[in-house]
Amino acid sequence: MADDHQRRLRELSRFLPLGPALAFVLLLVLVPVGVLFADSLAASGGVSALLPALADPVNRRAIYNSLEQGGLSALLAGALGYPVGILLGRYRFPGRDGLLAFLLVPFLLPSLVVILGFQELFGPVGWLSSPFPGLAPLGSGLLGVLAVNAYFNAPMVALLTATSIEGTSKEQEEAVAVLGGTPGRAYREVWGPISAVGAGAGMLLTFLLSALGFAAPLIVCGARCYTLEVRVWSLDQVLASPAAAGVLALITVLLLTVPTLVYITLTERAHRRQTRSPRPARPLPWRDPRSWPLIGYGALFFAGVLLLLAAVLERSVVPASGGLSALGWNELFSSGVTGRLGFSTSTALTNTLAFASGASFLAFLVAVVTAYARQRGLARSGWLEYLLFLPLLVSPVLLAFGLATLWRPVIGGASSTWVLILLSQATIAVPFTVQTLRLGLARLSPAPWEAARTLGRSPFGAHLDTELPRIRAGLIGAALFAFAIGLGEFTATYFLFLPPFATLPVELDRLGALRLVPAQEALGALLMLVSLVVFAAIEWGGRRIDL
Amino acid sequence: MTSELLSVRDLRASWGRVPVLNEVSFDVHRGEFVVLLGPNGSGKTTLLRCLAGLERIDAGSIELDARRVERLPAHRRGIGLVSQEPSLFPHRTVRENIAYGPLVQGTPLSEVGRRVEELMELLDLGRFGERYPTQLSGGEAQRVALARALAPQPKLVLLDEPFASVDPELRAELRAEFRQILSVRKVAALHVTHDREEGLFLGERVFILMDGLLVQSGPPSEVYERPRSPSVARFLGYNVLPGRAGPSAVAPESLRVLPEGSEGVVGIVVASGPVGRLTSIHLRLPDGTRVEARRPRTEGSLRVGMPVALQWEEGIPLGPDVAAPLPSHGARPTPARDRAGSEPPNEGSRSRT
Repeated sequence: MADDHQRRLRELSRFLPLGPALAFVLLLVLVPVGVLFADSLAASGGVSALLPALADPVNRRAIYNSLEQGGLSALLAGALGYPVGILLGRYRFPGRDGLLAFLLVPFLLPSLVVILGFQELFGPVGWLSSPFPGLAPLGSGLLGVLAVNAYFNAPMVALLTATSIEGTSKEQEEAVAVLGGTPGRAYREVWGPISAVGAGAGMLLTFLLSALGFAAPLIVCGARCYTLEVRVWSLDQVLASPAAAGVLALITVLLLTVPTLVYITLTERAHRRQTRSPRPARPLPWRDPRSWPLIGYGALFFAGVLLLLAAVLERSVVPASGGLSALGWNELFSSGVTGRLGFSTSTALTNTLAFASGASFLAFLVAVVTAYARQRGLARSGWLEYLLFLPLLVSPVLLAFGLATLWRPVIGGASSTWVLILLSQATIAVPFTVQTLRLGLARLSPAPWEAARTLGRSPFGAHLDTELPRIRAGLIGAALFAFAIGLGEFTATYFLFLPPFATLPVELDRLGALRLVPAQEALGALLMLVSLVVFAAIEWGGRRIDL
Repeated sequence: MTSELLSVRDLRASWGRVPVLNEVSFDVHRGEFVVLLGPNGSGKTTLLRCLAGLERIDAGSIELDARRVERLPAHRRGIGLVSQEPSLFPHRTVRENIAYGPLVQGTPLSEVGRRVEELMELLDLGRFGERYPTQLSGGEAQRVALARALAPQPKLVLLDEPFASVDPELRAELRAEFRQILSVRKVAALHVTHDREEGLFLGERVFILMDGLLVQSGPPSEVYERPRSPSVARFLGYNVLPGRAGPSAVAPESLRVLPEGSEGVVGIVVASGPVGRLTSIHLRLPDGTRVEARRPRTEGSLRVGMPVALQWEEGIPLGPDVAAPLPSHGARPTPARDRAGSEPPNEGSRSRT
């Protein structure tokens, strides 16, 4: 009897590692958002409030905008990114690994920096719009929003496509050729369907991120492009109608549930098909003229990504008026700007680093314990990933809104602001850190872990001794990735912040609103440089991030 | 102290709903080298992993040194394991790999150092102490894996096809070395392999596992000379041909190939080629049965498609095979016929006959 009891306890204790992940999802996502929905529905007259909310023309416009921007951005990112994914996924050439890693840079850049970069390229005195006025529409309006979304997401589509096909069997393809199949047939039979899974996952993620776009529609286009995300923010923060905002947030979640589930399923499928150590096997056919369009397009693609970075950097020291100037940098740290902002740049910098560090630490802890649970088969069928991907479905505004609704009264006082910013940034980073570690661990052979067990080590001890050291680079990468997300996070922070807790992206937005252009350009360059340093550190850790 | 070190009774295990091991029972004596022999997919590795505590069992008991261990987790069993891939810790040096087990046990550092030195010397690893596993050859890595498994001083070591990924010329040397080291240190071993030559060469006793069922056990010479059933006979390399009282096992060397028209069963040559000093001839009989004959190379090879006559002396009489594939839980297998005196009591290849 006692034996049975002990055995049951031992069995249950195996599942302890699931605790932190479940607590995280419950306390920071499900309960806050659930309470928010319940409060909002209660204040609006119950579930029947959904219909009037849907009938509201401004809300309908926001729904339409979300679907339009999500759909068009996904198509654009797919069309731009897929060929690059094929180039990097199928062919081997010097510098290929570096380019593959570089695809992550746009994703790591703070959204406001990319928006600023588009202004520098396509704005009134832009690098490209000045010599080619026909390109000016890319700097504003719906086209501007789509272009910004594509800049973020096309490299991600390329990355997911490349990683999905780099492990496909060269032998299978050769077998098709030997049996008389054309390259087109090899595409259909061997690597095309797998590449479609990768690209499809990337396009769905683009759809989700763009449909929930915040900074781009708000800043680049204005009210006529407001997505659901901006509309929810506007209802709560501008129009002071939190109940209406909560109801619309619920509609947002209902609308985006299916694409989110499909995205997670696709990534699961793509990961299952990956080999342990994928490497593209074919050398790039430089001399074959048939490959030149692909190579040329790839070069153009990366030139485009770099061009924006260069424009941001150049404008921070060479204003549109011409001549080398450190005016923006001086202004940035001047008391005049501090006075107009209500906080100093150094405060924003300190806050940004502190929030990003704290958020990456929390996200990292959740990811490590979750990865262990997953590795040991405690959470089969991927349900844990579905749960931990909820922050992706629950948008940053909704997340911040929910956290503020539930936890601000509990924590109370000014400190609630920094706690909530920290928690929201960690929550947003978790899906990506979990994914990164999981992939690193999935490629490990379980044999050393088993050997450590037979040599007397406990399951978690064996994990610490034999698995974590082998993905050290992945651990560093996951932590830095979370740090980079915290660094550039704008939406949730913007929703929650009070001046003492402003971050650099928030300051960047404020500087734009106050038309302090030189300081804004300098701060954009500063944020970009910090992001690039983090990216370099991730690469120095030797770990490629897979989304 | 009894002579049994490991006692397994009625062990059952499955992969999901597919049964893999069915009521497996056997004993291993102290210091004994036992070989578990069976074709791929017969459940050998699963059995080893169940013993090591890396797989769950559905039913049955495992007693190690008079202590029930089937409910203990792997790290509390004290059983060493060397697997097909050396599974060394890639981020630790050879010395650190070997020291790992004793350190986990909390052994004093001076004692850990002594054991590591002793094992490195015994396995001729002296010059590799500071190397990492990626800097070792397959054979060296397996030596380190054995040293690492022996360092915590287990009474039983499980060897899961440890030579499978080693070059053939090194394999013979390595298996003799492993056998000798385990014998010197008086450590019992349960060695799993599908290589019948390796199994018959190494084992003091051999267990044959087929479709999750232990179908025969005994000293290697006895198992080889008296296979019980057609499937065991085929696995051991015999031809199964009709005898006076049913099927019989005929060694390829005992099958005489005569010119067409001679007295005997007609066969068609399917393939023919040299195997060492002999010529191996594969033939198809009129009923579709495939057989192999071996004869000195001096007798020449035969053309493919050539009809010949086959003669053989009365072979080793065989009992029936297991009647059905591995039955589901609760059902009983129909085992091969027992052969009186083929094994001592309590060392049975099955729990029920």
